[in-house]
Amino acid sequence: MRQPAASSTSRSARAGQRARKRRSGADSALSAANPLLAVRLPAWRSRMLLFALFCGFVALAGRAFYLQGGLSTQFLQRQGEARYARTLDVAATRGVITDRNGVVLASSVPARSIWAIPEDVETGKHELAQLAQLLDIPAGELRRRLTADARSFVYLKRQVAPEIAQRIESFNLTGIHSSREFRRLYPEGAITAQLLGFTDVEDRGQDGVELAFERTLGGRPGLRRLIKDRLGRAVEDDWVREPVEGRDVRLSIDNRIQYIAFSALQSAVRANQAQGGSVVVLDVASGQILALTSWPSFDPSRRDRMEPEHLRNRAVTDTFEPGSTIKPFSIATALEAGLVTPQTTIDTSPGSMRIGGHTISDTSSHGVLTVEQVVAKSSNVGTAKIALQLPAQALWDTLTAVGFGQAPHAGLTGAVTGRLRPPETWRPIEQATIAYGYGVSVSLLQLAHAYLVFARDGDLVPVSVMSSEAPAPAVRVLEPQTAQAVRRMLEAAVSEEGTAASARVPGYQVAGKTGTARKLRDGRYTDAYVASFVGFAPATNARVVIAVMIDEPRAGHYYGGEVAAPVFSQVAAGTLRELQVAPQGQALALAAGDPVNRLP
Amino acid sequence: MIHIRIIVTALATVLMLSALSLVTAQHRARDLFADLEAAQQLGRQDEAEGNRLLVELGRASQPAAIEAAARQLGMRPIDPEHTALLPPAARATRP
Repeated sequence: MRQPAASSTSRSARAGQRARKRRSGADSALSAANPLLAVRLPAWRSRMLLFALFCGFVALAGRAFYLQGGLSTQFLQRQGEARYARTLDVAATRGVITDRNGVVLASSVPARSIWAIPEDVETGKHELAQLAQLLDIPAGELRRRLTADARSFVYLKRQVAPEIAQRIESFNLTGIHSSREFRRLYPEGAITAQLLGFTDVEDRGQDGVELAFERTLGGRPGLRRLIKDRLGRAVEDDWVREPVEGRDVRLSIDNRIQYIAFSALQSAVRANQAQGGSVVVLDVASGQILALTSWPSFDPSRRDRMEPEHLRNRAVTDTFEPGSTIKPFSIATALEAGLVTPQTTIDTSPGSMRIGGHTISDTSSHGVLTVEQVVAKSSNVGTAKIALQLPAQALWDTLTAVGFGQAPHAGLTGAVTGRLRPPETWRPIEQATIAYGYGVSVSLLQLAHAYLVFARDGDLVPVSVMSSEAPAPAVRVLEPQTAQAVRRMLEAAVSEEGTAASARVPGYQVAGKTGTARKLRDGRYTDAYVASFVGFAPATNARVVIAVMIDEPRAGHYYGGEVAAPVFSQVAAGTLRELQVAPQGQALALAAGDPVNRLP
Repeated sequence: MIHIRIIVTALATVLMLSALSLVTAQHRARDLFADLEAAQQLGRQDEAEGNRLLVELGRASQPAAIEAAARQLGMRPIDPEHTALLPPAARATRP
């Protein structure tokens, strides 16, 4: 049944093929013979196709023009930038602070800050412990920071040393990142701490020279656009804003003298169980500050241990009643006015006197003294008797001319004006006490600056903490003879008969004045004292003025001559040696066999 | 007509050469820039290292450090007890 059916199908297919062959042969023959039979496609179809293609190309050209020709380049640019362009902050390095000889006192070095995106962090316990150890923070604290805060960004530690940051980076922890920053280093540590101040974590000045010279030291960070190739190398750049590097600051400080002053002060404050103290060393020729130091101090690299009390640059920011150190100015005013000569005699017995219901007194009765001896013995009664003959205005003029009552423009932050009331308000008792240093307050820097007038033959230059070639012009305050006369009195004050024999320096003639003043607390004088000494060395052709202040000595001694004068002696000896000042001929004999040679 | 054809061919060749040299120059510029960038980076690193060394030098030359080292060597600070001051004449006669 099946077989015949299959053969009949193939037969009919073959018959069909033959029929088609015959028909096509017949068609071509027909169309050639008869044009009416030829198939003609309508022309609009090909035109339509052509037009469609044309439209397609126009659309493409339009799109290309749209993207490339400036109508809308934003999209492609955005895409390109997202792939190859980076905008980077370029940090400006903060300037270096050096001393007058170019020794680095403060410098910024690269550091890293380690930060995290908590939600990205997937770290195992072991890795976390390693990280905590490297960052020097407890593992628990680290975990708390990474989990407790719902913030999307958290600093783990800032100002990390680059080597440590590199080791952390080598762990390749997800979610933990690091970025560049700077860290300020102070090689001299506590010795220059209050003078230099410190910077914050962003490397901006916060105190001291760092703050006062912020505009010079601090640069301005720049912004830079980079094009990177597929290898990640920068291939083109464009400065949006060029960085301005911080400029260096050269201070007038001499780091060796600073150290001498610091160590002498430190041991004196400890030995006298004092609350604190300061030392200022000024260069007589230029008025520049060679050393400025205070105790207690702090270690600028241990921020966590800083105490606000220790940050103060006491020599500049704290005022005290100067006591007897102000007497030479009162005597100089009287000498200038022609009221007295150095040899004029004053009767100071019985060692006390009453003025308008108040009694002023000396430590003991000195009897009849010359004006020179009044300074050497530091007689309050003698000074008061001389000062009461003066017009108040004259005394005020001298004290103002040497800088009391005005903040010194030394380029230091927090410089105080001190207190010097206008002369119209002075009662006679006040005129007398101001003449010997009560009822007026000064900073140690002001006091040191004022003594330049005696060291420099009667003129005064402004103090400065910057090292500059050209000294500022001097202003005459006293006649040279007056300054020389007072200088001789100040030399006598450090003689065996004076109040400050322990200020002497073997091999050099020095001059200076002690001060011992009770401290004012809540408007009343207390049993606490401020011991001070201001002097210069050598006495003639002085090179340095040195001022020492010891606050509240409590180890039994409190007189300036006992507490502050030995510090002066140590600092002067060291400073003159550092400045290579040759010992003087006159003092050589003294050094050979004089008891001063065996001072402790 | 032939002239125009020659000119067009020449211009086309010049255009091609110029385009190729532009690409080469751009490539070279990028290479050089990358080198410059690397050199500048090195310079910055050296500068930072120099600063760090200056700080180290400052630390090492600190008077306090020198004094401590001197004490270890058995030296002691100058004190008046052990200071002999010679007058200029005596100094001149000494060998």
